[in-house]
Amino acid sequence: MTNDSAMDRLLSASGRLFIAAAAFLTLAVLAGFGLLAPASTPGQIFWVLASKSTLSSTLRLSVPIVLAALGGIFAEKSGIINIGLEGLLIISAFAAIFGADATGSLWLGFLIGIVASTLLAAVFAVVCIEFRADQIIAGLAVWLIALGLAPFASQVFYGGPNTSNVGTFDTITVPALADIPFFGALFDASPAVYIMFLAVAASWYVLNRTTFGRWVRAAGENPKALDTAGVDVSRVRYAAVLLSGVLSGMGGAALAINIGQFTGNGPTMVNGKGFIAIVAYLFGNYNPVGALLSTTLFAGLDAVQLRLQTADVIAVPDSLVQTIPFVAVIVVLALVGKTRLPEAAGDHYESGEE
Amino acid sequence: MEQAVHLDGITKRFPGVVANDDVDLAVEKGTVHALLGENGAGKTTLMNVLYGLYQPTEGTVNVHGETQQFDSPRDAIDEGVGMIHQHFMLVDPMTVTENITLGNEPRKWLGLTVDSEQSRKQVRELSERYGFDVDPDARIEDVGVGVQQRVEILKALYRGADILILDEPTAVLTPQEVEDLFRVLEELTDQGKTIIFITHKLGEAMEAADEITVLREGKNVGTVPADDITREELAEMMVGREVLLDLDRDPAEPGRSILDVEDLVVEDDRGVRAVDGISLEVRAGEVLGIAGVDGNGQSELVEAITGLQMPDEGTITYDDVDRTTDSRRERIEAGLAYIPEDRQERGLVMDFDLVENGLLGSQHAADYTSKGRIDWNHTRDHAEEIIEEYDVRPPDADAHAKSLSGGNQQKFVVGREFARDPRLVVASHPTRGVDVGSMEFIHDQINALREAGRAVLLISSNLDEVQSLSDRLAVVYEGEIVDIVDPERVTEEQLGLLMAGQQPDAVPTIAADGEGNR
Repeated sequence: MTNDSAMDRLLSASGRLFIAAAAFLTLAVLAGFGLLAPASTPGQIFWVLASKSTLSSTLRLSVPIVLAALGGIFAEKSGIINIGLEGLLIISAFAAIFGADATGSLWLGFLIGIVASTLLAAVFAVVCIEFRADQIIAGLAVWLIALGLAPFASQVFYGGPNTSNVGTFDTITVPALADIPFFGALFDASPAVYIMFLAVAASWYVLNRTTFGRWVRAAGENPKALDTAGVDVSRVRYAAVLLSGVLSGMGGAALAINIGQFTGNGPTMVNGKGFIAIVAYLFGNYNPVGALLSTTLFAGLDAVQLRLQTADVIAVPDSLVQTIPFVAVIVVLALVGKTRLPEAAGDHYESGEE
Repeated sequence: MEQAVHLDGITKRFPGVVANDDVDLAVEKGTVHALLGENGAGKTTLMNVLYGLYQPTEGTVNVHGETQQFDSPRDAIDEGVGMIHQHFMLVDPMTVTENITLGNEPRKWLGLTVDSEQSRKQVRELSERYGFDVDPDARIEDVGVGVQQRVEILKALYRGADILILDEPTAVLTPQEVEDLFRVLEELTDQGKTIIFITHKLGEAMEAADEITVLREGKNVGTVPADDITREELAEMMVGREVLLDLDRDPAEPGRSILDVEDLVVEDDRGVRAVDGISLEVRAGEVLGIAGVDGNGQSELVEAITGLQMPDEGTITYDDVDRTTDSRRERIEAGLAYIPEDRQERGLVMDFDLVENGLLGSQHAADYTSKGRIDWNHTRDHAEEIIEEYDVRPPDADAHAKSLSGGNQQKFVVGREFARDPRLVVASHPTRGVDVGSMEFIHDQINALREAGRAVLLISSNLDEVQSLSDRLAVVYEGEIVDIVDPERVTEEQLGLLMAGQQPDAVPTIAADGEGNR
């Protein structure tokens, strides 16, 4: 038993290492072509990859996914699987634009987005913890509610699925540093990007170094152990789910304010980012930093995909190029194999039950 | 001496049941007190009252000479009462230190952050003070059950407990770990802690306790000093009638060979030869016992014989038919019954009722099916027969397996397997974790099979059991049979040496034909 778990850890680590190594190797090969034969197809791909604008759009695309993934980590670590992240992103994206429009302040809009998402997360928490609903069904309900509610509200207030444009955050530019090739994109970005980095660091710290983080992990692994230690499991779980609302709310609000409006056609502007966030934190093995890295992988591929479409580098139909990030997700998941779910994830817990 | 605990006239009623009936219990400070009784005698209920999980219907709880009103375990912990449950309350992926300090973490930086240096230091100090050999940084999932139990004890001590209640602490331990635990208990009492442990095992109560209180049907039958009472007297107090601990029986009259295992090799998951060339034979009308320390290939041997795992080398023959590669189903149909070592894992489906559980293993048999559908009426009758014949309580075929006590679950499994009218029975730890009454019953049933000319292969780490039931006793060590001995004449010392892989002098060996050097 002890050997198995050590073995599992090694195997899952080796899967991740393998992906990282493969990505690095591909990059190195492309870099070789780029330096030696810039005109060849791989050479052109490298220069697309290495451009500052690719990094900057990677970061921009990452923000909502990373923030939602952080929220997902807290909820699931505490034992509540929150697959409603997509819905939280949708509701906060709309609420942020609506709030900004109503108050005239983007930052107040950002805040209102967070509040909306947290309220929806609170409903989810009550349904799951108090009324012991199935977490997967309740999570899907959160998504469906938001998917219906946000475009409907937009219809009511703006007369169509898309809202009017409220403008975007000004980018924060660090002089001089912003001119560095490629990495300069890190110093010439929207405030949301910096919020994302801060949130990753803070989440890691909270989970691994604070008593609250320890209780969250215990609540998801063996709630009875936590309960007998004198900590109220339900309260810990409520806090974790609300936190997932706050973090996802930041993600959704950032996503919408980045464009300046909410677009509610079809899957809305969120378009599956909440679900990719789930993949991201699973691939990152519930580690906030891991979630950030895996998101940058997906978002990076997405950014490259967008650029390749416009750059016309390779003679492949656009619709095939568009599938790159999704193919990558499937490959990654297949290779990672086992991610160890918290033992009690998805289980109800009632104090004093045998 | 000072009394650490004094329960005075405790009565606890649940709807329809009186779990404790006017029970008095006095425990001296600095002693080990065993609470002995069969399953369902009310031991755990009484301790849950002391621990504040239940409030007594009548009676008072006195701790350190003061009357206490415990509304929750929190209150009990505050008064220095700690309880170690049978199922550990530990978080597997966390470290020993994290588990011990959970909920009471030392903090720094305005209480925001866990002071992990301080936690580790406190845990190390505590562990050293009581001579516990525990690595504060090990993960729970990487340490054995014995260490996990010590972590549970440390958890209670960390919270300031000086009265420790242990609920069936030995149920999950190997004999070596039990020895370690008893040493730990001694160390704790030397330092003034008071221990109450719940058990249904006579031997353990006598070995580890200073005083023994016996509960039967919710009543205190008596408190006796452990030193001047015999096993027979204790067993009688527990069960309320005379118990035959030693079986009286006729010598075996073995017939022809039923099971024949030749040069069997089974590799475990890691490729280690867990069974390394074992040959044995079990004949009609005899019980072949397998003794050995757990983990010396017994599980793999059983799995190969019962068809749960394919052997890597060697042959297995039932009734002169080679069945080495036969499936479970084919072996069951050939007349094999199997009592698995873990009844909850392999013997029963805990969420099924007894009707469904009674069908397991017979789901293909023509008696229970008609035209591809299960004949539920017949299946129900079958389950009810088992319940009646094997005295399974409560006698309710619709009860879920998980609602039964361990002893009754085991009786049901034994009943189901024996009801197949098997030619060969493989019984792996058939009485592990069952109460003395059920144990006696199961032993009688195994004997009855032997009398009826069936072949029985009995694997048990309980030496008393294998010695009293077997006609021949094979001792295994590291996947090999060290020797086959006469269970009646071999001494415990000799067995102990054999189990450690050594060959003592003058062992009463016994040959396969039953003659030997008697």
